[in-house]
Amino acid sequence: MAIKRGVSFYSYQQAQFFKEMDYKDMCRELRENLGCGGVEIINEATVPNFPFPSKEFLADWWNTMARYDLTPVALDGFLDPLRFRDHVMNKKEAGEYVKLELQLAHDMGFKHIRSMTGLPTEVIERALDTAIKLDVGIAWEIHSPIPIKADTSITGLYCDSPGTAVADTVEFIKKTGTKHVGFVPDMGIFMNGPYLDNIEGALRRMKDRAMAANIEAMMKEIPLAKLGEEVEKQHPGALDTLEGWDKRAFQWKTVALPEDLELILPYVFSIHGKVHNMIEVAPGVYDDPVTMNKEVIDVLKRNNWDGYICTEYEGQRSYQDLPKEQLADEVEQVRRHHQMLKRYIEN
Amino acid sequence: MFDRFLIKEDSLENVDKDGVIIGFKFQIRIADYRGCFLSLHNGYYINVDGVEYPRVQQRFEINGKPPRDFDEIAKATFEHWDYDDFGTVHVLTHGGLSKGRHRVGVMQSIFMQYGWMPHDEEWVKNPPDPGQVVGGKQQDVYFFDMEIK
Repeated sequence: MAIKRGVSFYSYQQAQFFKEMDYKDMCRELRENLGCGGVEIINEATVPNFPFPSKEFLADWWNTMARYDLTPVALDGFLDPLRFRDHVMNKKEAGEYVKLELQLAHDMGFKHIRSMTGLPTEVIERALDTAIKLDVGIAWEIHSPIPIKADTSITGLYCDSPGTAVADTVEFIKKTGTKHVGFVPDMGIFMNGPYLDNIEGALRRMKDRAMAANIEAMMKEIPLAKLGEEVEKQHPGALDTLEGWDKRAFQWKTVALPEDLELILPYVFSIHGKVHNMIEVAPGVYDDPVTMNKEVIDVLKRNNWDGYICTEYEGQRSYQDLPKEQLADEVEQVRRHHQMLKRYIEN
Repeated sequence: MFDRFLIKEDSLENVDKDGVIIGFKFQIRIADYRGCFLSLHNGYYINVDGVEYPRVQQRFEINGKPPRDFDEIAKATFEHWDYDDFGTVHVLTHGGLSKGRHRVGVMQSIFMQYGWMPHDEEWVKNPPDPGQVVGGKQQDVYFFDMEIK
């Protein structure tokens, strides 16, 4: 029983976009530099000719897993409900699509698929026989703002009842006794501060340069977690005038506490180690202070949880308005995240 | 995402058919972290030197097939646009663009999303025009300085 380290290749999306790394380069990085074995992929990014890759690709995939001694952990799937364009994808169609993903996961050696947040039990039950037959689990991602404990005030996204989706699935698991349905909690639900990259992006694009300069000065005095409140005090309403995603840059919410995990731990198939910025807290020592990493890992250790935490680095997006040489270094950020994971797992 | 890197550098050129310039084209990637089923692709807001080129004038070339209009693309529910691939956007306009530099504004519209949303039924009935700040992972029109040689 142990907590093991892995990487979601989502983390290297920018390197893939620029064709600087293909999936084999990512596999080599895991083995040779991170010293970890868990692989998670985005189905529609890693698999050419999705959803029906060639036999050559599959052979190459298995060969690469063997060469670097890697374990396929999770295949990330999606539901794009507008795909048919003449009607909204219904739950029967969604069930068929999940079956297709289960088959692909099986063919690539994955133990479970990571499905979209709030995957309805009506979809899960349609695909369950296939999951059992192939011995591949269906685990949906618990992503912010979806909590672990029910919160009926959350509506209007992902599914009919997002606020109780976790409880609904737990009830389904208990009712059926299935071992093939579970969750992939995303560490973003355990936030205790805003993401620095989003704030830096918002400041860079802020039209009111005097306000941007003032906020930069405030950041030296005030902890990040309190920054939004303080900006609101000094510049009432100003953050609401920012455009697009920048409007939300200073907002954050703890949607679950680490101990909430104990309510669902037997059904947690793997975890997304969500990270936006690794901060140097001492010379050569990196941490992610806006996520309760240590507290979550302590809960996992206390409960002898056995599984993979796969790094999901997501800070690259905030810098993509800059010239190429100023973009985030995904490889380095993931290495720093693994330095932190290793420290918390082993100590 | 990837706004300033979406269009392939130096890919803007006029389209010659049987000795007649029928429009212009450029190569583009998906503004996301994954590929998509082609039917989700809803077209582009395109503005060159202040002139808008609506979706009816646009064609999209991908997967080795001839350029298709977006009514045809909407039917491609089982065809995938792989993440690593460039597609080519064609704009039909008699005479194409003049030689020299142009300011090309582009915003991609793809209905990729993470599960069901309250707008789903409405978007099936009345798909929003490209350029509205909805759908996809672009927030605004991005302008490129490009040259027709």
